[in-house]
Amino acid sequence: MEQTHYLIAGASHAALAAMHAIRLVDADGSLTVIGRDRELPYSPTLLPYVVSGRTDPQRAFLRDHEYFTRARAAYRCGHALVRIDPANRVAELDDGSRLRFDKLLLATGARPVIPPIPGLDAVPYHVLRTLEDALRLRAQLPQTRRAIVLGAGLVGMHAAENLSKGGARVTIVEQQQQVLPGYFDAQAARIIARAFERADVTIRTGARALAIEAAAGGVTLRLADGSAVSGDLLLISAGVTPVIDFLADTPIQCDRGVVVDATMQTSVERIWAAGDVAQAASFYGAHPVLNGILPNAVEQGRIAGMAMAGDRALEGFRGAVPLNTYSYYGQHAVSVGSGAAPPGAEVVESSDAESARYLKIILDEGRLHGIFAINTPIDPGVMWQMVRRRLDLSAVRDRFLAQPRTMGRLLMSSLLR
Amino acid sequence: MAAVAPLPSGRVLACDGNEAAALAVALARVDMVAVYPITPQSSLVEYLAKFIADGRLQAELVDAEGEHSVLSVLQGAALAGARTFTATSGPGLAFMFEPYLRTPGMRLPIVMSIVTRDTLTPQCVWGGHQDAMSVREAGWVQMYCETVQEVLDTTIIAYRVAEQRDVMLPVNVCHDGNYLSYGTARIELPEQDAVDTFLGAPDVNWHAALDPDRPMAVDPLTGGPAGAGPATFVRYRRGQCAGMHRALDAIRDAHREWARLTGRNHAPLIERYRMEDAECAIVTLGSMTGAAKDAVDEARAAGRRVGLVKVKTFRPFPATDVADALCKLRSFGVVDRSVDFAWNCGPLYREVVTALQGGTRTATSQSFIGGLAGADLTVEHFQRVIETVGQMREVAGPRDTVWLDAQE
Amino acid sequence: MPAYNTIAFHADRCDGCGKCMIACAQAKSASDSPRRARLEVLADDAGRFELTMCRQCADPECVQSCPAAALAKNAATGVIEWDHDKCIDCLLCTVGCSFAGIALDEAAGHVVKCDQCGGDPACVRACKPGALEYLTMARIYDEAGSLEDLFVQGLSACQGCNTELIMRHTLRRVGPDTVVAAPPGCVPGMGAVGYNGLTGTKVPVFHPLLTNTAPMLAGLKRVYKRKGRQVTALALAGDGGAADVGFQSLSGAAERGEEILFLVIDNEGYMNTGMQRSSCTPYGAWTTTTPVGRESHGKSQDAKNLPLLMVGHRCAYVATASTAFMADFYLKLDRALQASKTGFAYLHVYSPCTTGWRFPSKKNIEVARKAVESNFVLLWEYTPAAGLRLTRSVDDPVPLSEYLVALGKYRHLTPEQVAHLEQHIAENVAAIKRHALAEAAAPPASTRPGISSAGALQGPPASQA
Repeated sequence: MEQTHYLIAGASHAALAAMHAIRLVDADGSLTVIGRDRELPYSPTLLPYVVSGRTDPQRAFLRDHEYFTRARAAYRCGHALVRIDPANRVAELDDGSRLRFDKLLLATGARPVIPPIPGLDAVPYHVLRTLEDALRLRAQLPQTRRAIVLGAGLVGMHAAENLSKGGARVTIVEQQQQVLPGYFDAQAARIIARAFERADVTIRTGARALAIEAAAGGVTLRLADGSAVSGDLLLISAGVTPVIDFLADTPIQCDRGVVVDATMQTSVERIWAAGDVAQAASFYGAHPVLNGILPNAVEQGRIAGMAMAGDRALEGFRGAVPLNTYSYYGQHAVSVGSGAAPPGAEVVESSDAESARYLKIILDEGRLHGIFAINTPIDPGVMWQMVRRRLDLSAVRDRFLAQPRTMGRLLMSSLLR
Repeated sequence: MAAVAPLPSGRVLACDGNEAAALAVALARVDMVAVYPITPQSSLVEYLAKFIADGRLQAELVDAEGEHSVLSVLQGAALAGARTFTATSGPGLAFMFEPYLRTPGMRLPIVMSIVTRDTLTPQCVWGGHQDAMSVREAGWVQMYCETVQEVLDTTIIAYRVAEQRDVMLPVNVCHDGNYLSYGTARIELPEQDAVDTFLGAPDVNWHAALDPDRPMAVDPLTGGPAGAGPATFVRYRRGQCAGMHRALDAIRDAHREWARLTGRNHAPLIERYRMEDAECAIVTLGSMTGAAKDAVDEARAAGRRVGLVKVKTFRPFPATDVADALCKLRSFGVVDRSVDFAWNCGPLYREVVTALQGGTRTATSQSFIGGLAGADLTVEHFQRVIETVGQMREVAGPRDTVWLDAQE
Repeated sequence: MPAYNTIAFHADRCDGCGKCMIACAQAKSASDSPRRARLEVLADDAGRFELTMCRQCADPECVQSCPAAALAKNAATGVIEWDHDKCIDCLLCTVGCSFAGIALDEAAGHVVKCDQCGGDPACVRACKPGALEYLTMARIYDEAGSLEDLFVQGLSACQGCNTELIMRHTLRRVGPDTVVAAPPGCVPGMGAVGYNGLTGTKVPVFHPLLTNTAPMLAGLKRVYKRKGRQVTALALAGDGGAADVGFQSLSGAAERGEEILFLVIDNEGYMNTGMQRSSCTPYGAWTTTTPVGRESHGKSQDAKNLPLLMVGHRCAYVATASTAFMADFYLKLDRALQASKTGFAYLHVYSPCTTGWRFPSKKNIEVARKAVESNFVLLWEYTPAAGLRLTRSVDDPVPLSEYLVALGKYRHLTPEQVAHLEQHIAENVAAIKRHALAEAAAPPASTRPGISSAGALQGPPASQA
């Protein structure tokens, strides 16, 4: 049976960060990366831009074959893990081949959630998680007149903008009361939504889909308030869920995702998980959370790789911090940290509808809890560090609130000189 | 560019010993000349500088800031493969002593004229052998010349001896300050072709080199109380002694070959002059020999059975030849132009007496010291020597040295 | 992994003038607004300055955070390059960077970051106080690292020996077509010239007399030149052999312009033979021949200024250097090597001796640095064409006590002795400045050797006449 010291299932950000971390300390240990897609590694984050045509898919790959060759790693693409035998440390691929591993990283990511809407299985619809999805959706664009985007998360919003710019009349249908729920608060969401509305995108928030039926040349979505939305293209963008079904008959503990400790190790020794598939500690609470964002995948992948390679410089995961950047119609929104202000926290908020600027800062016991900005320059990486280091800002509170970017830069420059 | 006058090879000319030495160096086609002027050597290096300036000698010239550096330059040059030359006298030789001591151990075939001069003190710029005699245990070959012609010929011969692969030692060609350095005589210059044939290409650093193409540590540290160190050191020392011993044959062979090429026959180690049936003899060194030979001729004419032995090669000391020449005599006198302070006699005298030890008969002998500080050693001096030696009978115990210039 | 050039920020030299930001905005955004700059100098409440700019991380988080492969670290230059065509303006790179080294330029509508202006940073050029410095040490690291170490491992130097560092770096740079002459001292003492049939040096090496290093090399070099061969004649000599008993022959070779690279490793005495005084031993220093007792308190004379004496010879090149300032040392080594092809090149490198000066071996570089920072040692260079110039400012030195306190050999100094040393240093500084001024009056500044703003070496001093 083929053997590999390191087996990495998945080939996106978490997987690549882990491989990089491993190779920093172990140049020679055999390493195999299993990629689900037939292509070289790419980022799902990029897909809306493939749809819009802004990104040439052939230039979007995160690594080339030479990278794997130089790193003395085997890249096996077009395959997925279908079964794991943790006791014997054997992984089985979808082509029936088996691999014995010493250390396994599950970085298998997530797949789109398909909401249980009656009739959905009987109509054509799109999702946007793979390059194949993106190309299919893109091929559909020229003949699309009216598009329905179900779900106003980042994928849905990006897609809506691109579909709209491509000439389609777009309606976004979101079950919750605002767009981008969980990313931005209601007021920020309103500012963002306004930009869409100005571009003639229809946004239907608080709209629960009851049923879907085929219509002439498309679909009709029936909503709980009795109204209906029709379109010739339906995109389901109702979020993602970790790919864990192949772990069902293993002792690897799963909740919504694969539950991991601070070194990204699962409940089974020698098996780690990182990225969208992992459910790790939250920075803000005891309960482990999914945090399907790119910076999180990079950080967790690195930690897992360091743990797998026995890198002594490893520091444990400090907990997931929500981090989002979002650019739309030439405008920019950033969110770092939690928008849920704890009791007693200081919340400072300012906005200017005219310039579409918005800034909300939450300080908890003098420390940054969360910061949300639209068209207001801040450095999200600096803010993230301030949050996770729990920097005491009491002494510079006023200046920080007035000039978060300048103060953040000053503090981080002096800290990390 | 002005036409370069070639060296006057194959001709007869009149010159002094310093110029003769310089001509020999040019004919030997040396690569490197390093110089520092000192009386009575100065005109020698002036001639060389001029030859080089005129393009008649294609050599590097280093006008060093002192004799210590002069020889140091030559060491570096030799380790890079160059045939080298310098000349010095008296205090210059003393100042050179540190690198001088080192040269034979590195087996560098450097040739150096010692234009002999008495050493300080008292202050003195005149001839005498004290400088060359003071370095007699340093490990250089030393040959002493009698005439201007011999200066020229011996200087060329010196390169052949020095570069002979089983010798590889530096050579001093000693010629007397004042009498040979400035004394002009008729000489015959050898043909350049003959010299080229005689010497061949420089063969200087085949054994030890500072050359990036064959890197090595030249003259590394050796020694220490244990391990290979002392044995290594002894191997070097014994090799040096063996090379010195082989130089006797090399000198003989070189002189023979030189005679074949030029027709000039110089005695290589010692010259026996009118020694057939001699009862007494004078032993001489250097330019004094001419006057001594005249005195011997006169004594022979008067019917006295007197001969002369000239020592040319003083280092290595040709002990067998000297013993063979002197052992059957009734008595002999050795005339030194320098002093052996420890033994209150001349250094050549002590060497000669030592050479006779172990023989079946020992002649009665006497040390004479004369010609110090540029003083002339005349026929009259040697008549006195012959007189003294002729009257000597076997007497127990050491004889007091006779100081020929003493104003009693 | 190679090292890279970098832009360093010396906060203590910054006066907050902001010209760096304007220069950057002009160079990169055709704007005079500092807001368009890719670096930002910020003042804190205490008036201290901080710099925000891309640090060109070795393991850049921004690159890993980019979903579009629009960021990549250039393996040759180390610069993290941004590809406008690939960028999708997602700003995730700005989340990955903890230093605000890549940030949104609102006016441009995309992220921007420092690219070091392709090796000639506009900000550094604009920074008059020298707070921003383009460090090209990486060139040294990469070049020296790729060169063969021509001494064997495990030379038997004392722990923490600075001389070994000098030797190894020098020979790496000078290369295999070299003949090394190392007169008696620490260099041979540690096995460089061979011992009982083994040698510690991979190039030809000779152990000359203490007195004749320069002429011996002169003879060698002349012969190789005559033969048309390029061989570097390199002396690795101590201060005793050079300044004392070997001074005559050194002076002679320098006067004759012998084509030698003569490197003096100045450890201020005969450290190899047990710490005796040399003429380079400073005033007040304890040595075994200037002991501290009831009647005497260390050396009672000032040190001989050997490098300045060599300037008097109008050598092709004279410079002083310190291993605490390696970029400077390498620059001078390059120039000395070049100058040695046409004349006498003299390099005087100060080499603190852990054993003989009585300080912990781990502090060697620190001691070397303090020596320079306190003006105890001055760094300068000289060529006949360009004259003498200080290569490091002597203004605003640290107190001498910071240097003296580190060394056991000065432990006994009285306040009067310290005052004497301070006076001597002041005189030294004044003398060197006078030299520099006098020389500066002569040739135009453009002929002076120095680092061009691109960090590249200008032509060799000898060719600048």
